[in-house]
This record gives sequence, structure tokens and C-alpha cells, in this order.
Amino acid sequence: MKRTIFNGQLLPWLLLAPQLAVTLVFFIWPAFQAIRQSFLREDAFGINSQFVGMANFRALLDSAQYLNSLKVTAVFAVSVTVLSMGVALILAVAVDRMLKSQRPYTTLLVWPYAVAPAVAGILWYFIFNPTVGILPFMLDIIGYDWNHNTDKGDAMILVVIASAWKQISYNFLFFVAGLQAIPASLREAAAIDGAGPVRRFFDITFPLLSPTTFFLLVVNIVYAMFETFAVIDSTTEGGPAQATNIMVYKVYFDGFIGQNMGSSAAQSVVLMLIVISLTVIQFRYVEKRVEY
Amino acid sequence: MASITLDNVGKVYPGDTRAVGDVNIEIADGEFIVLVGPSGCGKSTLLRMVAGLESITDGEIHIGERVVNQIEPADRDIAMVFQNYALYPHMSVRQNLAYGLKNRGTPKAEIERRVNDAAEILQIGQYLDRKPRALSGGQRQRVAMGRAIVREPAAFLFDEPLSNLDAKLRVTMRLEIKQLQKRLRTTSIYVTHDQLEAMTLADRLVVLNGGRVEQIGTPLELYRRPASTFVAGFIGSPAMNLIPSRAVPNLPGTAHADTIGIRPEDLSVTEDGPIEMNVSAVEELGAQRLIHGQTGGEAITITYPSDAPLAETLRLGFDRKNLHLFDSKSGARIDKAR
Amino acid sequence: MIENRPGLNILAHVTLILGVVVVAMPVWVAFVASTHTATDFSSGTIPMWPGPHLVENYRTMLDTGLSTSGTPPVGQMMVNSMIMALSIAIGKICISMLSAFAIVYFRFPFRGLAFWCIFITLMLPVEVRIVPSFQVVADLGLLNSYAGLSLPLIASATATFLFRQVFLTIPDELTEAARIDGAGPMKFFRDILLPLSRTNMAALFVILFIYGWNQYIWPLLITTEPQYYTIVAGIKRMADVVDGLPKWHLVMATAIMAMLPPVAVVIGMQRLFVKGLVETEK
Repeated sequence: MKRTIFNGQLLPWLLLAPQLAVTLVFFIWPAFQAIRQSFLREDAFGINSQFVGMANFRALLDSAQYLNSLKVTAVFAVSVTVLSMGVALILAVAVDRMLKSQRPYTTLLVWPYAVAPAVAGILWYFIFNPTVGILPFMLDIIGYDWNHNTDKGDAMILVVIASAWKQISYNFLFFVAGLQAIPASLREAAAIDGAGPVRRFFDITFPLLSPTTFFLLVVNIVYAMFETFAVIDSTTEGGPAQATNIMVYKVYFDGFIGQNMGSSAAQSVVLMLIVISLTVIQFRYVEKRVEY
Repeated sequence: MASITLDNVGKVYPGDTRAVGDVNIEIADGEFIVLVGPSGCGKSTLLRMVAGLESITDGEIHIGERVVNQIEPADRDIAMVFQNYALYPHMSVRQNLAYGLKNRGTPKAEIERRVNDAAEILQIGQYLDRKPRALSGGQRQRVAMGRAIVREPAAFLFDEPLSNLDAKLRVTMRLEIKQLQKRLRTTSIYVTHDQLEAMTLADRLVVLNGGRVEQIGTPLELYRRPASTFVAGFIGSPAMNLIPSRAVPNLPGTAHADTIGIRPEDLSVTEDGPIEMNVSAVEELGAQRLIHGQTGGEAITITYPSDAPLAETLRLGFDRKNLHLFDSKSGARIDKAR
Repeated sequence: MIENRPGLNILAHVTLILGVVVVAMPVWVAFVASTHTATDFSSGTIPMWPGPHLVENYRTMLDTGLSTSGTPPVGQMMVNSMIMALSIAIGKICISMLSAFAIVYFRFPFRGLAFWCIFITLMLPVEVRIVPSFQVVADLGLLNSYAGLSLPLIASATATFLFRQVFLTIPDELTEAARIDGAGPMKFFRDILLPLSRTNMAALFVILFIYGWNQYIWPLLITTEPQYYTIVAGIKRMADVVDGLPKWHLVMATAIMAMLPPVAVVIGMQRLFVKGLVETEK
């Protein structure tokens, strides 16, 4: 809170006007529309609509496709989070040992953050392409017939790798910052207390890194659930046979391609609830972060 | 317990920066040695070399019978108290104390006994299940010491352990450390930049300057016979007056020296004193005063009883045996005057 | 580190080099592909080293593009992307600074409500409200326009919070001194707040430029006329060919060009980038 403020009633509203206008028109009004539509059902021509209560939500729960999408989203989000955080942590611990070469290694590892998810998707789609891709060619040598166009598992692996690849740099930067925030004397004390490098990592470093780890966990789940739309759309488009149809993709698909407004809106509302709970978790944790 | 020997020890950082050079110290079993010097003199580096946290580039360090140059910190049988205590924030006090013993496979019952003993000695028994962040500065300091004593190591290494405490607590803890060390009789090396702390704690002091040893000796030896102008100026408070001899001509017996040293407490006001002082400022300390002034254009300070009369100009005398003579070029003490 | 164990250092270097190689591998493959002709790898063997067709492929894409996919020349798409990214980054910074200024330096009725209104945008990513947002933009007649590409994306809670944080750390004494010197609110904003938040603005700009450049779903939906296509959304249209194989060498050339500006920004302004990344997550 500021002790010294300026007077004026109109000026602050003028300053806020652009932000509020954009927020109301492009955020709150559409969100409100989504909520409204989730309780309505349109007729076949999209002219009349009637209030149907929770029917759209009940229909979701009865829909095998939607339940499948929930499962796919969970598998996808967990895999992307574990893979990208795991790799990033290993790299961060390695770079934390370095003195002079820390900066060049960091530069070489952070740039994928700037690559668009759609471009990341295209790159891996090409590398894994069954006819011209380099990885299926190599997999063929060890006797594995890769085809993400027909095999559900292959398709999932493709989108997980493409999504995790892009996120490594982000996790890496935060892990390095977290590691550097741990006082060197703690690790020295542990060394004198007889803990070798591995033991020190598990007894001292990893527990003290837990605020960073928890923060990244939330951020990565949000990333995997929402920002990977472009990865899916530029590679598998949710297929084959719904195997990679994560929730955000299904909202888009049912709304724009399937033209099923009521269902799409209900799915939007479910997603909003998920984002709200993740945001709440993140903010409650930020208060706790000052603990150590 | 063990003796510790530093034999021509030196440290050169990559890029040819010399942090420490040619250090020879023999520390007897059970002795309390204090490394003292201004910041950047290499005292902490030297301590960390004994601990094994810094590599040794020249010479050898022996702990007991062993050369420990290539031995890892965990295997040197030493315990260290860090400046910021380095308590593990996610472990309780009990776990902090037990961690080093657990890593060495000490039996559970033995750990329990030693932790309780240490807690009793340091009066931290009621905090054993708290986390470090729930403790005050002084309590954390005790836990850090507890972590060292449960290990029953061959030597304690202290790296400015009191510098994060307020002045009053520092004096209390100083005394406690001294008593604890006398009781346990564990060889100790203690690093500080505070000469008063160094004087009060040490069996013997090692004064370091620019990575080299200036002088080793008991506190009184260093006070009475400083080997160089650096030690003379560093040990003792207020600091010794170091005056070019041309500023005080005609002093008997100073012919060979171009710098003379005399402590403020060794100067007295006498009618026929050989030094004339023009008073410029007076600092009141209570029992006595510090009087600052000039003689022959050089600054000089004396201590003076609070109730004695003051004048613009004072004549100062001294006892010949309290005169210290130095060569200004090398800074070394010249003994011919005695 | 503490122990002198060369083995561990070697292991760390090997890990990092492996990491760098894995991270760079897809881009290397794409780059190699973009320097060959279609026939070079449709035969089934994949070249490992760059071929001689780099200039030719990139020039083709920049000037004429892949007309079969209905996309304009890459050059034009990059200009569109640049316009969108700059509008989003600059727009977000401007409106966020103004609203943060209002929230920190004024007391007015419904200040809390305004704050929550902005806060709630955190919880409404575009993917979630995509269908009704499209409807709004269509109703406003903003389809196929630069305004439609950027306006809906420039509200930002993150940027507002960042500036709020920055302003809160500016000492009250500065405001008091400025008021005594006779500076009104807008003069104070221009002469004190703007210069003092310069590095924060720069750091935020780096992050927001990348964010804007990399937008995908939004430009994909609201642009149906090729002249407004952005490069990131355009790639997908190139890779999507109904019959036959995509022209991979040209698609990869486009991918390389699509990632060039934001990657250059990250590498060239690494310090600002890291600062921006850490600050926006506070």
C-alpha cells in the first residue's frame, strides 16, 4: 500500500478503461456466454435454443468419448510434466556443478522456449514421419514399426515428446535458479557430515528444492492441459481414434467442426473450473513459498 | 583428538591469484588456535583448506598422523561451525544433530545418547523437535555447535561463528565457546576478524595478512612484542601509535629505527616528557578518555584518566621498555634498541 | 563443488552435451531438410548433412510461398506475424502500465472490483473460451484484420501484476518529492515511473514478443483470407495437403524461418529474457 497517493476520481477510471474494456469484451463476456450456453440446447438449424439445465453436463458424463478425453488428458499431462521436469532437473543439477561453462550451456539449452508449440509439433511430426522421418528409419533397424497415424501409443508418445521438448528450457531455468538459491554452506555442512554427492542430493538439495518443484508442477500441468493445443493440432489432430484428443482440443473440435455448441460450452465450463482450481493452488502456494 | 600441522601450505586459484602462501603452523592436541586478520587476508580460505572444502595447491596438511590433502571432508574427522550456521532448514534440531552420525552408521541408541548429551551441555533440550527457523539467533548458534560436538571429532573448525549475533550475545557466546572447549579439550581452529574476540579466545593467535602469516604467539606475546607494524596496529585497542621517528626527534635509543611504536596506554602526561602533543579531540569513554592530537604533524592518541586536567598542549612521557621500534620499509621489528 | 571427483565432472559434461544434442536435434534435422530438394529424401534415405539448395528453397518460400496450400509468400506471413507480435507486446505493456498506475496510486470506489476483473483473466485462457470469443470478434466485424489478431489478446493480468509490484517498490519519498516539486499524476508517471521501469518493460517485452509471435489457435480461427495469415498458423496449412506428401523441404524452411525471430530474441537478450520469465511468474 502506498502512503502517498494522487487525488482524482475520473482519472483512474480513464487509466483503467482500455484494460477493462478489453477484459470485459473479450474475456468476461465470452466466458459468460460459455456458461449460458452450457445450459442451453440449440435446434438443428441453430435458430432456437431452450434451457435444458444440467443436461449438457450429464451428457458429458455419459459420453464415452468425453470420459476417454479425460483419461487421455490425464495421461498426457502427467507424462509431459514428468518427462520435461525430469530431464530439466538432471540438466540443471549438471550445470550447477559447472563454474565457467555455465553460461554457454544455459544458452544452448534455453532457446527452445522461443519455439512456437505449433512449430515444435511440426518438427517432431517430421522427424517421426513414417515415410521420410529419421526416427522411424532408425526404429526400423531395431525392428520397431513406428506409425503414429495408426498406432495409438505411438501417437501419444509423439505428442508427449513434442510438448515436453519445448518445456524443458523453462523448467531448466527455474531449477537452476532454485539450486543456486540453496546456500553452498548447507551442502558443505552435509559433506562434512559424511554425505556423498548422491546422498546430499536426496537428503538436502531435493527437499530444499521442493518449493521450485511444486511451483513447476502446477505450471507444467497448466501448460500440458491448455497450451499444447497447437502441438496436437499440428500433429495428430486428436487421433488416431481419439487417442490424443485432450480436453482443450475436444472443446475446439466439438464447437467448430462438430457444431455442437451446448456440449462445447459445457466442456469450456469444466475447463474453467480446472484452471480456477489450479490458479488457486498456485496462489496459495506462493504465500507459502517464503517459508524457508 | 589430534594435533594439526600445516606444512608450507599455499593456495593458488586458477588464473594465478594467490590466496594463501607459505603457511607453517603446528597446533598441539587440545590447543585453541585463532586465525585473525582483516577481510581478504586468507584466514577463511585456510580454514576451508583444513576442512577439505578448498583444494590445497602447495604443501601438506596433517591431522593427527595423516596427510589429509587428498582426503574428503567427511573422512577428515573434523566438524565445522559455519558463519550462517548452515542448519538444514527442513530437519528438526534433533535431525540436524543426528545427521552426521546417521551417515556414519552410528547405532541408534548411541546417536540418541550423544544428541541428548549435547543438548544438555548446550541447554537446547526443549528445542529438539523444532525446526531451525523457529529458533532465535543464539539458539541456532548453539545447535550449530551441538552438531559439531555430537560428532566427537578430532578437531573443531569455527568460521566466524559469532558474526551474525548482536554485540551482547556475542560476548556471552564467546565465553561459552571458551568454556566448552576447555571442558572437551578438542583441538580447535577459530577464524575471526575481531581482534578482541581473538585475544579472549585463543591459546595462541595466528595473525594473517595478505595470505601470509605475520606472527604466531600467545595473546600476550603478540601484545607485548608485535613482530611487525601490521601486528602492532592490529592487536590492541585503541591501536598502537606508529610514528615516523623524524616527527619525534631526539628520542633516546631510536637511532636505528625510522618508525617507533607506542601504545596509547603506555603514554603518560608528565611535565618534562620528551613528546609534545597538540590536543585536537577528546573521546569520553567513562573510566577514561581517549585524547587525539598531533606531534610533529603526525597523529597520536593517548588514554587519559577522566578526572585529570586537560590542556591545549600536553607533554608526554613513557617507559623505555614500552617502546617498539620498526623498520618502515619491511615493517619488521628491530630489537637493537632493547 | 565440494569433492574433487573428476569422474562426476565428466559425467556432468556428458549429460549436458547429450542434453544440448537432444534439444537441438529436431532443429538440425529440419535445417538439413530445408537445404535439399523433395526428391532427396522421398527416396527413403534421410540426408544427415546440409545440401546445396538452401538459398533456392528459402528464396522460393519468402517470395512465392506454397501456392498449392493456399498460403501467401512466407515474407508476407512474417510481416503479419511481426505486426501481431509487436501490437500484442506493446499493447499489453501500455494498458497494463496504465491500469497498474491507477490501482497503485489512486483510491477510488470499486477499486477492488476492477482489480478482480483483471485478475480473473488469468483463469480464462483463450483455449477455454474459444467458441464464444470467436463469436464476439465476428460480431464486431474484426475477422481478417490486424485488430482482430491482436486486440483480444492484449488484456493481461500477469503484466499488470508485474508493474504493480514494480510500482510498489518505488519509495513513497519519490512521489512526495515529485508532488512538492509540483508534478501532477501524469507528469509523475511520465517523468518518474516510466524511466524507473525501463528494464522491467524491456524484460516483459521479450517475453510478450515471443508470446505474441507464437500465437496459433487464434490467428488460425479468425483469418480466412491469406493476406492476414501469420507464419506460425500458416505452417500447419502447408503441412496439411489433401493429396500426396507435403513438400517437406519447403515446410521445414518455413519452420526454420518461423522460429528465427523469437529464438534470436532469446539468445540475443538472454539476460532480459530470464529476468522477464522469472518476474512474470512471481
